[in-house]
Amino acid sequence: MEAAAISHDLHEHHGPPAANHSSRVDPPMLGMLLFIISEIMVFGAFFTAYFFIRVVNGDQWFPFEGHHLPVAVAFVNTCILVSSSFTLHWAETSLKRNNRAAFKAGMLSTFLLGLTFLFVQINEYVHIGFAPHDFAQGSVFYGLTGLHGAHVAIGLLLLGIVTLRAFRGHFSPESHRGVEIPGIYWHFVDAMWIVVYFSVYVL
Amino acid sequence: MLNPLRSEGEAFRLLLWIIAIVVAIAVVVLAVRALT
Repeated sequence: MEAAAISHDLHEHHGPPAANHSSRVDPPMLGMLLFIISEIMVFGAFFTAYFFIRVVNGDQWFPFEGHHLPVAVAFVNTCILVSSSFTLHWAETSLKRNNRAAFKAGMLSTFLLGLTFLFVQINEYVHIGFAPHDFAQGSVFYGLTGLHGAHVAIGLLLLGIVTLRAFRGHFSPESHRGVEIPGIYWHFVDAMWIVVYFSVYVL
Repeated sequence: MLNPLRSEGEAFRLLLWIIAIVVAIAVVVLAVRALT
């Protein structure tokens, strides 16, 4: 009897011991929290450069010397990116209600809207008429929008994985951490774009 | 208090708040520019 109990115990504990959780925050969420905080700091550094050249150095911002920013196109692009957050939220609420068709449609449209945003941004770079090394304003413009574009690319990679998994039947109303956490990242990317767009194109 | 790291829903609601605040600031800035 005792031997059977011991062997049962041995059978129960296999693999390495459970990791020590020193934080009460759920580990995947803690990972995303720390990542987003660090990325906010990176954006902060780029915003510092932007406000330095405009406020401290008093440089003329666009339009100047025949160079201007395509504010209207960027506004439409902003609407596209904001829509992608709505479709992502729709996807997740659909999954929670076990509506798999709407979940898949939501994820696919989120991914496609994000991809459209990135392509419009790249097209803007091709036709904008100045390079990052031409003047400080150009460096700051490409720096800020380029940094954001890199974040969109990472977000699209995450969303692409989630969309593929969605179509393979993964995730359930009870278990969808893999949708929730990339979703939080995508909303962060969208919120950051609102601030970038306002600072660079409107102010 | 909205905690954007608690759930995707809260992150989405925070995004809506940020959009509302930025639009409000933009309206004020553009109005001041138009009037001066």
